[in-house]
Amino acid sequence: MPRYELALILKAMQRPETAAAVRRTVETLMERGAVVRNLENMGERLLPYKMTKHNERHSRGTYFLVDFYCAPSILDGLLNHLHRDVDVVRPTVLKKEEQEPKSSCCDEKTRQEMKR
Amino acid sequence: MFQVIGGRSVQAARLLAPRSTVLVEAVRGRKSRSDPVAKSKEGRIKVPVSVDPVEMVVLKERYSEYKLIMRALRMEFKEGVLRKKYEEEMGSQAELRARQEEEEHRALMDWNNQENLRILKARVIRIQQEEEEAERKKMEAAIQREQEQQEFIRQKEEEILKLQEEAKNFVTLENLDQRIEEALDNPKNYNFAIDKEGKVVKRTVLQ
Repeated sequence: MPRYELALILKAMQRPETAAAVRRTVETLMERGAVVRNLENMGERLLPYKMTKHNERHSRGTYFLVDFYCAPSILDGLLNHLHRDVDVVRPTVLKKEEQEPKSSCCDEKTRQEMKR
Repeated sequence: MFQVIGGRSVQAARLLAPRSTVLVEAVRGRKSRSDPVAKSKEGRIKVPVSVDPVEMVVLKERYSEYKLIMRALRMEFKEGVLRKKYEEEMGSQAELRARQEEEEHRALMDWNNQENLRILKARVIRIQQEEEEAERKKMEAAIQREQEQQEFIRQKEEEILKLQEEAKNFVTLENLDQRIEEALDNPKNYNFAIDKEGKVVKRTVLQ
């Protein structure tokens, strides 16, 4: 199955509400037959520009990254659902390419530092 | 009435005629067959040249002698030709020559057969070698394919194992809450700065 990444921008909310929104999203994913690999939080940040969604202007948002495997046919419905979710400011699904074991641009030292 | 004409029929007459005379022949000029005879020629009776008996006898004799001699010569020559032909086909030399030719023919045929056999042997050997080559190549190709298949299967199995290992860390309905709490507790930051010497700086301003 191809591998996708959902870069999810949620509204800046309190912790329990954020948790609930994330839980809702992941459950939707799983209902549609996706296998969630990993869930990462990039924290609450200032958005690069002010975004308007669901009649609200947002300057701050919480970024989440969800790796998952799914069939390509469900993506359309999923995105539709996410756009309609009030707490979601911007959902973005990207394809994840197969990672190569090593890249030729960096040398060993830099790679070590980057890993840390 | 009389016209000077040329043509093939005239060549023979030309040889016999004396050189001073002009060659003429009777030709119907102005009048056709049904036209009436001219007044100047009314009572004309064409009389052929009369024969001189003495001359006739002499000529007859000479002619008969001449013809006899010519006939005799002709027969002689004909006989000579026929004899030569007969000797050619059934003379003493004929058998000898025929036998020689047959021997030659047989020798050549033998030589031809020998050559054929030799070439046949060479060809058989060559074909055998080629067959063996082809067999060997086929075997090699089969072995190669087998190996490639094995390689492929091995790689796929490796990938499966790797995925199985990673599957232990996947998010499931039970892990979900736990994972969400974990994620909310550890915000990850992928930003970094790098300068021309290759020094990496991970600490950034978090807004």
